[in-house]
Amino acid sequence: MNKMVRKANAFEIVNHWVLAGSFFVLAVSGFGFLFQLEQLNSVFGSFNTMKVWHNWAGVVFIVSLVLTIVHYLSVSLRFTSDDMEWFSKAGGYLSRRVKAPPQDELNAGQKLYYLVVLVAGIAISASGLVIWLRPASSDITRLVLISHLIHNICFDLLVFAIPAHIYLATLANPGTFRIMVYGTVPLEWARKRHQKWVQKIGV
Amino acid sequence: MARKALLISPERCIGCRGCQTACKEWNHLPGTKTVNRGTVENPPDLTPYLYNRIRYIETATEADMVRWLFVSQRCMHCGDAGCIKICPAPGALFRTKEGAVAFNKEKCIGCKLCVAGCPFDVPRYDDKDKISKCHLCYDRTSEGLLPACAKTCPTGAIRYGERDALIGMAKKEGYGKVYGEADLDGLGALYAFIDPPKLYGMSEKPAIPESVVFWHKVLKPLAYIGLGGAVAAAVLHYVAFGPKKDEEVKKDE
Ligand code: SF4
Ligand code: SF4
Ligand code: SF4
Repeated sequence: MNKMVRKANAFEIVNHWVLAGSFFVLAVSGFGFLFQLEQLNSVFGSFNTMKVWHNWAGVVFIVSLVLTIVHYLSVSLRFTSDDMEWFSKAGGYLSRRVKAPPQDELNAGQKLYYLVVLVAGIAISASGLVIWLRPASSDITRLVLISHLIHNICFDLLVFAIPAHIYLATLANPGTFRIMVYGTVPLEWARKRHQKWVQKIGV
Repeated sequence: MARKALLISPERCIGCRGCQTACKEWNHLPGTKTVNRGTVENPPDLTPYLYNRIRYIETATEADMVRWLFVSQRCMHCGDAGCIKICPAPGALFRTKEGAVAFNKEKCIGCKLCVAGCPFDVPRYDDKDKISKCHLCYDRTSEGLLPACAKTCPTGAIRYGERDALIGMAKKEGYGKVYGEADLDGLGALYAFIDPPKLYGMSEKPAIPESVVFWHKVLKPLAYIGLGGAVAAAVLHYVAFGPKKDEEVKKDE
């Protein structure tokens, strides 16, 4: 019962914290810029310093996001019939009786979530870089406006998706959060949630 | 305080560009080297060190073989200002009590979004990436002085005063429609045109870019709704369905 299996290695854990930390700085300062929240001056000092934090946290975010590709992209692109069934049953989250089909290392929802974060993350990064590094000339106004739009659409998407992800990985699934700390989970936890993966690694 | 404005009358302008010089003088803006482009119009565009400029437009018609139009170009001090709307830094752009749109370089974070939000391509950025543009001389007008450009204009082509009075005056002078009377909640730079605005190089219907309006009306509130919605959904889910405990997942088997 108390046997543990490793779900994430040290690199994944550290990188996830870096990604989360940079996102937190970006989102808080992002809200600050969006609504001109002068209260944040007590944290950042001034909007000029907040911009420096926002831009460089963005650089950290980009590097960290790119590094996640190694671990999660290929598995996230493999959707099977079990995954489709998982979606049709909403992963068993909307009923206490429905049983979700067996899942791989990532369940269908996690795969979709990763792809959304990856695409939105790349789009928000690219558009942010355009706004940040644009030349002073005014004839790229159209590109800046498009970037401004994309940056904000992705922001709206991420400020919804990431709190939902945090909920699902903590309160909604007790025992999950320890992956981000120790990288290991009880075998029992893994069997119930990632049956195919457990079979694959053969524990 | 009643809203103040400039009334610009190209037909009165003799193209002396005294206003350009007066503005530089008052605002301590350095001169910049330019090249001879075969026209007296100079420089070719607004720069961080040139807040206003006279555009020279040659238009020949049957009746009027030689017609030169001199049109003063500067910030229009829009009633609904795209630059203020899009600016992320509080206090960087602000409305003066005279109704002008002024700026504070110290508060500006140099993001250069305001030029993208401006329907008239006005803001420019100095060597420190800070906004610079006409501020309707609020440092003069608040002390009861005329803006430097209006003060120096020898022909009355740039007049400053109460906005309503200026509109009345232009109408009395025979200009049926005053450019900027109603656009963008009224411009703070009004133009007395005889011909359609296009002839003077002005857009017929100036508007804040649609994407900026969409962002302001929809995407901004959605950020709060999205965050609030995620939290609310989490709370509701927790209360209604509760967490997936290991034991329960097991029971399902
Ligand atoms: S003309 Fe441009 S810079 Fe001037 S107030 Fe209007 S939007 Fe702002
Ligand atoms: S460049 Fe300055 S004034 Fe213009 S939008 Fe950015 S912070 Fe505001
Ligand atoms: S109102 Fe003042 S700042 Fe604006 S163009 Fe005239 S002199 Fe320059």
